[in-house]
Amino acid sequence: MKRSLKCLIVAAFLTPFAAQAQMPQDAIYMSKRQICVAGMYGYSSWNQYWEGSLKRENLNIGTQTTQSFMLMPVIGISKRVNVILSLPYVWTSTSAGNLMGQHGIQDVSAWLKVKAVQVGGFSVNAVVGGSIPVGNYVPNFLPMSIGLQCRTVTGRLLLNYRERKTGLYVTAHGSYGWRSNTRIDQDAYQANDRVYNTNEVQVPNTYDAAVRLGVLRKGFQTEFWAERMSCLNGDNIRRNDMPFPTNNMQATSVGWYAKVQPHNIGVNARVGYVVDGVNVGQSTSYMLGLLYQINFKK
Amino acid sequence: MKKYSQLLTISCLMIGLSAAIISCDKSITEPQRVGYAPASVDEKAGAWKTYILTAPTDVTVATPTAVTSADYLAEVADLKTKSASLTQEQQEAVVYWGTGAVYRWNEIARELAARYNVPPASNADGKYPLPDAANPLADPKFPFSNPPYSARAFAYLSVAQYDALVATWNYKYKFNRSAPSKVDATVRVALPASALPAYPSEDAVVAAASYTVLKAMFPGEGPYLDAKLAEHKNSRLWAGMNVASDLTAGADLGNQVAAKLMARAKTDGMSAANNQTLTAGMIEAAKGRGLSEVWLSQESPLRPPMLPNYGAVTTWNFDAATKVALRPGPPPALNSPEFATAMDELKTINKSQTREQARIANYWSDGAGSYTPPGHWMRAAANAANDAKYSEVRMARTLALVGTALMDAGICCWDTKSYYYYPRPQQFGMKTSVGLPNFPSYTSGHSTFSAAAAVVLGSIFPERTDEFWAQAQEASNSRIYGLIHYRFDCSVGLTCGKNIGSYAAARGKADGSGL
Repeated sequence: MKRSLKCLIVAAFLTPFAAQAQMPQDAIYMSKRQICVAGMYGYSSWNQYWEGSLKRENLNIGTQTTQSFMLMPVIGISKRVNVILSLPYVWTSTSAGNLMGQHGIQDVSAWLKVKAVQVGGFSVNAVVGGSIPVGNYVPNFLPMSIGLQCRTVTGRLLLNYRERKTGLYVTAHGSYGWRSNTRIDQDAYQANDRVYNTNEVQVPNTYDAAVRLGVLRKGFQTEFWAERMSCLNGDNIRRNDMPFPTNNMQATSVGWYAKVQPHNIGVNARVGYVVDGVNVGQSTSYMLGLLYQINFKK
Repeated sequence: MKKYSQLLTISCLMIGLSAAIISCDKSITEPQRVGYAPASVDEKAGAWKTYILTAPTDVTVATPTAVTSADYLAEVADLKTKSASLTQEQQEAVVYWGTGAVYRWNEIARELAARYNVPPASNADGKYPLPDAANPLADPKFPFSNPPYSARAFAYLSVAQYDALVATWNYKYKFNRSAPSKVDATVRVALPASALPAYPSEDAVVAAASYTVLKAMFPGEGPYLDAKLAEHKNSRLWAGMNVASDLTAGADLGNQVAAKLMARAKTDGMSAANNQTLTAGMIEAAKGRGLSEVWLSQESPLRPPMLPNYGAVTTWNFDAATKVALRPGPPPALNSPEFATAMDELKTINKSQTREQARIANYWSDGAGSYTPPGHWMRAAANAANDAKYSEVRMARTLALVGTALMDAGICCWDTKSYYYYPRPQQFGMKTSVGLPNFPSYTSGHSTFSAAAAVVLGSIFPERTDEFWAQAQEASNSRIYGLIHYRFDCSVGLTCGKNIGSYAAARGKADGSGL
């Protein structure tokens, strides 16, 4: 989840906090007066990254690891309107070099998911989400920062077709993510080949697109997915320099996801791998979640 | 039906919200500084003491034509054509350069320092290729504009500007040719015109001198500097401030002074500053004085220390013997209680760095990709002089005093670092939140640079002494909070920097400016 919200972060220098119970990227809805609470642990690491388009390793970082724990309630307002909230705690570390790991509460996010049209097995879903930084973390000590301290809003259109008998489904979505400027501790910085004499930093907006192919049956779901996330503009990491919030980060990832929830309690798991990118780490990510569904007076 | 209208409302809200968001303005606003009529034109500045010139007459300027001559009248007519109506772009150039010639060229120098301030990457053999001045834009780019390199660039730039402007003031009052708008009231001016004689143009002087120094320091930036030079010169015509011969004479004078500065630069010892063959001797000597564990690069692959022989570069405000006398006494032995106390402080921060400590460490980090700590202080100096509405020559004096103090601080500090070859806290398990510099620990460069600059600035702006010193203190602490220096590196560096700065401050008191 939080995926397109955090293109850059997800994409690599930080971890995909991806988990998908009833997620902003699926067409699955909780019923009215149902709440599903997910507690998810995420682990993501890379030992190679793209400096601009140059793929390289960095012996002064070794393997960079980002871990997170996230609490995510999904609330059924009605069968066609869901609200999804999340709040992650994130920590980073490296296997080599001298960089100090960072840790803390990151950004709270909220999504509103609406099934606008349902015709047979086909549905059109509109999703809008936003996030606000909660923790007072350092935004630009990349790649160790746990976030960018910017506010985001994402608009997403999601199409889904599910064949009723078999449960086979295909989902496609596209999103536009707006990200606010951020403020750093320094009063000058370099970006876009010039020095800015201010603490205000422009963070590029993002888009993403994804397709998912899977099976959804009662109490059981599995899918393969492919995603493309990119900033709309931004600069490259300079030769041998550190990344910066203005970087144009792009990543194409593939992965697998599954969920088993026969009753109130369930589990989900996800694996993702960045196959190609610009200004991001080539991360492999894992997520494991525990789901608990609460039904209020039927 | 009710359900559908609800859905419709929500959808509309979402579309509206998305549209509002996407159209949001994300442009960055930077504080803009604008031009002013100087508080004083400093008409006696032609007699101020220079650094390289023995007298203003070391450089020559052609006698200008009289304001009644046909040549001059033709120049004024041409000026009127050029300044009569300006495009948006020309207006912006006039406002930009109207902030001040010295101010803007110093800012450009900081820009270049930042652009070139990244250490070379290691190659496949685990070696770090050296930047090549003859091929400056190849990887690794030349120069690696690290703090000592940048301090030197700022010093030469500022001294060239200052010496050239002192000579300019001499000739301005010798020839006393008024500004074109004072000669002919119908000349349209876009900037405040002072009582300062216009020939030779101080803007052209500063542009030419700065261009030559910066092109020598950043040889890959020819096209960028060409464009800045042309725009600066033209902006004076567009603004109706100078006729063409004011500019030609200024460029000529500026070039002569810059040539003298670059002659000094060729022989100041910088070419031997990165002589890595000397480090074995430095290590031996430090061990001979009882150091049990010497500094070792914490990078992988091991990176040779940054400019180990920079301490041998020629200073500005005192001689080589004084430099040795200024070198602080030895740091605590690694098995001493003093060392243990300093390590304990770092261990505590490493365990629980506060957000305020992180803020201070970041604010002053001035690491790779930044305009370096000397650039940070050059900016502070330029802004203080701009706030005080200084004339060009007094602005240049301020920056020359600060710039030379910063370079002297770099030389003394690197001399100390190479002499003691003291290990970094990372050799005893500390991590860092700001990035680790690749040279010995004792003493702190930030502390030395900052104290030197703060003392000079305090002597020029006495009412702001405490403010500048508090900033130097914070810059010094920032290296402890960032976990890359022991407290004694910083406190000793501050004291040493203070002593270094006092030489520049004394020079300022004795330079005949009466300031």
